Amino acid sequence: MTPERIELPQGTLDLLILRTLSLGPQHGWAISERVQQISDDVLRIQQGSLYPALHRLERRGWIKAKWGASENNRRAKYYELTKAGQKQLATEQDTWEKLTAAVAQVLRAV
Amino acid sequence: MLSDLYIRLRSLFSRSKVDKELDEELRFHQEQQADKYMRTGMSREEAMRQVRLDFGGLQQVKEDCREARGVSFVDSLTQDLRYGLRMLVKSPVFTAVIILTLALGIGANTAIFTLVNAVMLRSIPVRGPQQLVVAQWSARKGPRRVGMSTFGDCAHNREDTLGCTLSYPLFKQIQNQRNVLADAMAFVGPYPMDLSGNGAAAIAQGQLVSGSYFQTLGVLPTLGRTLLPDDEKAGAPSVAVLDYGYWQRAFGGSPAVIGRTIHLNNASFTIVGITEPGFIRLTPGKSVDLWVSLNQASVLGLKHLHASDPTDWWLVVISRLQPGVSRAQAQAVLDSIYRNEMLHGGNQEWGTADNPHLSLLPAQEALTGIRSMYGEPLLLLMAAVGLTLLIACANVAGLMLARAASREREIAVRLAMGAARRRVIRQLLTESLLVSFIGTGLGALLAPLGVSGLASFFSKNSYAPLQLDLHIDARILIFTVGAGLLTGIGFGLAPAFRSARTGVTVQLKGNTTTAAASHGRGRLLSFGSSLVILQVSFSMIVLTGAVLLLRSLDKLRSIDPGFDTRNLILFSINPELAGYKDEQIANLYKNLQTKITALPGVTNVSYSSEALLDGGSSSRTMHIEGSVDKNEVQVKTLSVGPEYFQTMKIPLLQGRLLNQTDADDTRRALVNRMFVQKYVAGRNPLGLHFSGGEPKDPQWEIVGVVGDTKYDTLRKEDAPTAYMPLASDGATFVVRTRFVPSSLMPAVRNVVNTVDVNLPVIRMRTQADSIDRLLFNERLVARLLGLFAMVGLVLACIGLYGLLSYEVERRTREIGIRTALGAQRSTIWSLVVRHGILLVTTGALVGGGAALGATRLLTSLLYDVRPTDPLTFALTAFLLLVVGILACSLPARRATRVDPMTALRCE
Repeated sequence: MTPERIELPQGTLDLLILRTLSLGPQHGWAISERVQQISDDVLRIQQGSLYPALHRLERRGWIKAKWGASENNRRAKYYELTKAGQKQLATEQDTWEKLTAAVAQVLRAV
Repeated sequence: MLSDLYIRLRSLFSRSKVDKELDEELRFHQEQQADKYMRTGMSREEAMRQVRLDFGGLQQVKEDCREARGVSFVDSLTQDLRYGLRMLVKSPVFTAVIILTLALGIGANTAIFTLVNAVMLRSIPVRGPQQLVVAQWSARKGPRRVGMSTFGDCAHNREDTLGCTLSYPLFKQIQNQRNVLADAMAFVGPYPMDLSGNGAAAIAQGQLVSGSYFQTLGVLPTLGRTLLPDDEKAGAPSVAVLDYGYWQRAFGGSPAVIGRTIHLNNASFTIVGITEPGFIRLTPGKSVDLWVSLNQASVLGLKHLHASDPTDWWLVVISRLQPGVSRAQAQAVLDSIYRNEMLHGGNQEWGTADNPHLSLLPAQEALTGIRSMYGEPLLLLMAAVGLTLLIACANVAGLMLARAASREREIAVRLAMGAARRRVIRQLLTESLLVSFIGTGLGALLAPLGVSGLASFFSKNSYAPLQLDLHIDARILIFTVGAGLLTGIGFGLAPAFRSARTGVTVQLKGNTTTAAASHGRGRLLSFGSSLVILQVSFSMIVLTGAVLLLRSLDKLRSIDPGFDTRNLILFSINPELAGYKDEQIANLYKNLQTKITALPGVTNVSYSSEALLDGGSSSRTMHIEGSVDKNEVQVKTLSVGPEYFQTMKIPLLQGRLLNQTDADDTRRALVNRMFVQKYVAGRNPLGLHFSGGEPKDPQWEIVGVVGDTKYDTLRKEDAPTAYMPLASDGATFVVRTRFVPSSLMPAVRNVVNTVDVNLPVIRMRTQADSIDRLLFNERLVARLLGLFAMVGLVLACIGLYGLLSYEVERRTREIGIRTALGAQRSTIWSLVVRHGILLVTTGALVGGGAALGATRLLTSLLYDVRPTDPLTFALTAFLLLVVGILACSLPARRATRVDPMTALRCE
């Protein structure tokens, strides 16, 4: 039985990608797999939004891409966090934590 | 951001590669995913199907990725361009007219700018030109007791209270200030030198320079060596360095010239080196063929240059600042040296009250050269050609506007289909930019034609060889592209915004004519009208300037110079440079005179120290016997050979002419009528004596009075002039011919060559050429202004014609109704023409007002015509009106032919 899936809220996709890449360079498929795994299959990134997001992050200079060999020795495009990306990740993570804490607080109180 | 730019550029330029990479990336993902499904036991087909389901529309994902990378801008641009091109091809005549108009406008602007750039803007082609400074002296009054020579390197003022020539001892003092100056050099010239030992004798422009010249400038040799400080020491061998270009021209670029001996003014010089090709000039416009050291002056027979004399100011001194030393710091040091020298040293020229100073000016600004001569007319032309481009711009905007009106329906459809207004404006702007870029490209191709025409006009009219660096540099490219871009936006913006305001519903109701009329009568036409008014008024400004100049040229040309200027050949020779001595020179002249007179077609031959109306003149302060006031007077002097007055056809008024018995030492002279009128009025001039200012100067006896002539320029009043017999100096021969003088030039040159092959003929020209040369600036500006005015006028007419035709077309229905109701053809005709006349009159009034201010800039070029000459203004306005009515009459005739039935039926 597959667990219930939750749609990703607006803006969280970038954060998830950046966080995943902070563990080391990955290709697109691995990123989506990793997110799915870690979230116990709750979060699932739509393929149709993953790649545009990757290209957008690359254009902003937060991640950079280079071609390398995959585990099964095929050519794959690996993404890696840049300095600017690390900074961005820290800010976004901080914002997210504050936001969820605040939302949780409100939900508990009311 | 840099990554942003990089990725956008990559999307733009390597699109196929980026797309392929995207494909590969997505395919990799799909295969990974398929592998994963297959591991759970799916068959391959099943797995692939599932993947495709997961993925959604692959094309959509790709499109989103492209969007994310910023590709969409490029995509829509290519789309716009493709569409724009299609629109342009659809109306080829319209497109051709616009592109041609722009090409002419941009081409003319680029051509003039290339000249402005060469004369005014280019920096000195040496290393670190910004560290070079020129020493300029200034004082409250001009120096009196010094010999000062200038070669037009720097600007001078009329009162001689500033200048940039210094004495040799002062240069040496400046050169020693090594705490503030890295080095300093001095130069004089170039002098025309008689060069032999390389084929037939020729004139080379030789500059005399200090040994530090090339080191200070940082100019290196291509071959051999440049001049060095040792070359300036006493007793150093005579060596010369050749200019790269001259070496190519005169010596075919042969490396064997190093070590070869040539003769300069009959003295031997060894060629030791060739300069690097980039060093084409120091002073703007001055062309130098070779350099020799300053101490070679006496070897070269340049007698008047005295190195040790502190009262001989002849050298332009250029220093290179020590790194880290500012111009002000160096100036403070040199100024105190200069003041000390002037107030207490060997050259006590001024007192403290005269406040003499030495300043250091950036060489780029201080070395003016031809800039002082051509700078003003060039800037005038730049302004005029700029106005012409504005006329072209307004013209094209008018055409675009008219066309945009006919495209209103198309645009309304696009707006109704949901196109953003921004997107429509961008589409229309892309179209106009496309047109302007094609126009610019064509203009850039046309520009070199104009440039080479102008350059040859310049050098044909210059006394010395002219150096103009006309190759295309970044500044010219930026100018042209910038002009094209601004033009494209300028004429495209207003029509684009106007079109995008189109009311969708009105347009789509289906009745174009009423829609256009309701829309057009209010704003569109008034905007179109103001464009026409703009064109007419700019044309009026340029046209007024052209007419003013043409009228004053006409007046200048109709001045009676006092001698017959037709059928005269002039050429100069300098036998001293070829080694002739006193008696030999007199014999040579006599010999040449006889031999040239013997040529068929020649009536008289003579010679003089200067030629009349050839740019030069000499004058002396004189004292006249028995004059009441003891003051000395200024008298122009001209030394002449036998038969001079017969040759020039200057009438004898009193006494006798000079003849063979009047040698230099018999001290007999002639004066002109103005001399008598001004200085010996009321007395019999014959037998009177005059002399130079000093008591030891010889006394001259007046034996005759001749008619007045213009001397150095046409513009000045006839001046008191004295004519003496020519002693042994260089001379300009005058040859009076029976028919077209240019046809006899080869024969005359041939005579000189047979008499002595080592005697170079300097500047063979006709008297008419010389006068043209004096009027060069006037002719240059008049000619080009006339051309621009014609172009402007034609454009304004096209604009007017276009606007009125468009109006007649729009009002077809109205005109049809009027005709149906019984309006006469003449009424319809005047309806249209009245509008045209109104526009032209408004334009002429506005332009006339602006011209009143603008023509003041022409003052220095005008002669006997005021910049606000009412006749000129009236004439110009009248001309505009006539041409304007002609331009209106065609559309007006078309209006009278409107058939009421057809007009009403087409609704």
